[in-house]
Amino acid sequence: MNGSQGSKLRLWSCAAILGAAAAMHSGLASAGYNDGKVFLTGGVFTVDGAGGGGAVPWATITGYETRDGINGGVGYTYANLPALQLNVFGGAIGFYDRFELSYATHKLSLNLSNLDTVALVAEAAGLDLGTDPWNSTLQMDVYGAKLRLFGDAVYTSDSWIPQVAIGGLYKENTTKELIRTLGANKAKDWEAYVAATKVFFPLSTLVNFTVRYTSANEIGLTGFGECSASGCTNDKEFRFEASVAHLLSKNTAIGFEYQQHGGNLDGKSVTVAGLPLTGLTDLLGGVLGGVEDALTQEKESDWMDVFFAYAPNKNLSFVIAYLMLGNISVAQDQNGFYMSMHATF
Amino acid sequence: MKLSKIGLSLFTGAALLAASAQPAFAGEQKTKPILGIPKSALDDFGGAAGVHAWVESLFYYIMLDNRISHIFREFGNVERQIALNTQLEQMVLGGAVEYQGASMSAAHADLGITMTQFNAVVEAAYNACERNNVPYKTCNHLIAALAPFTRVIVTR
Repeated sequence: MNGSQGSKLRLWSCAAILGAAAAMHSGLASAGYNDGKVFLTGGVFTVDGAGGGGAVPWATITGYETRDGINGGVGYTYANLPALQLNVFGGAIGFYDRFELSYATHKLSLNLSNLDTVALVAEAAGLDLGTDPWNSTLQMDVYGAKLRLFGDAVYTSDSWIPQVAIGGLYKENTTKELIRTLGANKAKDWEAYVAATKVFFPLSTLVNFTVRYTSANEIGLTGFGECSASGCTNDKEFRFEASVAHLLSKNTAIGFEYQQHGGNLDGKSVTVAGLPLTGLTDLLGGVLGGVEDALTQEKESDWMDVFFAYAPNKNLSFVIAYLMLGNISVAQDQNGFYMSMHATF
Repeated sequence: MKLSKIGLSLFTGAALLAASAQPAFAGEQKTKPILGIPKSALDDFGGAAGVHAWVESLFYYIMLDNRISHIFREFGNVERQIALNTQLEQMVLGGAVEYQGASMSAAHADLGITMTQFNAVVEAAYNACERNNVPYKTCNHLIAALAPFTRVIVTR
């Protein structure tokens, strides 16, 4: 029921974005169409769909429009980590360099042998944990809006005042059973953020700071908040994020990002039908040693990455990054490759 | 008594004339980027000759860009625009050069310049840097020095 609603919504938003993109491209919206922004100053496609870096939304408005018009684009991101692969598809439209609407859909494949074991047991026991014996897929839709409040990230080189924007994201995880299995409280929730961005021309460097108000576990991919024997909580907190991008030339940048994460699921055992898995360890006992330890989730790490961004022209940008995401759920040392493409119209 | 009165009125008249003439020749002030402009910036640009060559390239790219070429063409006397821009760019880079043109606000007040058109000139500026082999980092010092003029140039 919920799943079909979710997919319908997803279909609609996909159609809306593609429609808008096509309209812009074919010149139907030529009255408002604009691509006058200077190279890369609209940011690229974040995993949240919003304009920014890789994981961190910036105060800049997506697309190449100036205050004179509308622009936008579509993006695709692929991240390949030892225990998981993330595919993100989405799009964003910027209005008059002032307001932004964005959408992104996530598909996260988990290749965790320990979780697969649980899935095997669960299947044998006839329980629906949202897992699959071979691999489990988490899905999430992200709807975003951003409003630029004041400041100019690019041209106010004689002032320390950055460009400041506020944004909101609504994240809807459509794999509720798996979220519950991982011990999270909610599958859908909102986040809010404030971002400040400034280009320092003498250093050829863009600096962005973002504070996000959220209760997300792994940006919401493993739900929001937590549940334990004593009940469920979903306490939002302020978390810090930063991007630094150094421009080597007008269309090439290198840099790093940092995103603070919470610890809602730290040390929690994967749960089966609302019960901690400890109850099942006897059952698995002799077959698999130390299964309980293997199913205790690690301390959620902050995310970090180093990236290389290149925009051959105003219609296309590529980002290649090395992600250092640390512990994700029951998996350690999730470091690996990230590739993102952003096509703007 | 009478003579001094005449002298005084002459003096006031002259002062008034000078005052009324002032805005037209107010010129432009050096901008103050927050991280400053390095002392070597003008030399890095190739000195007066380098800046002049860069301005010529700038106008070459401006005149190729349909979004903005008409504005500069209508203004007329491109040679004079190049000469004045050469003075202005040297001044903002810290050169001991007198800029003899009108202030940025006076020169652009009636043109209704949009942000899109302003950005087009910035793109031409980067193209000119590449054409003249001015390093990107050096180019950014000039962009930093000119960027504050956005406020008075973009009026729409």
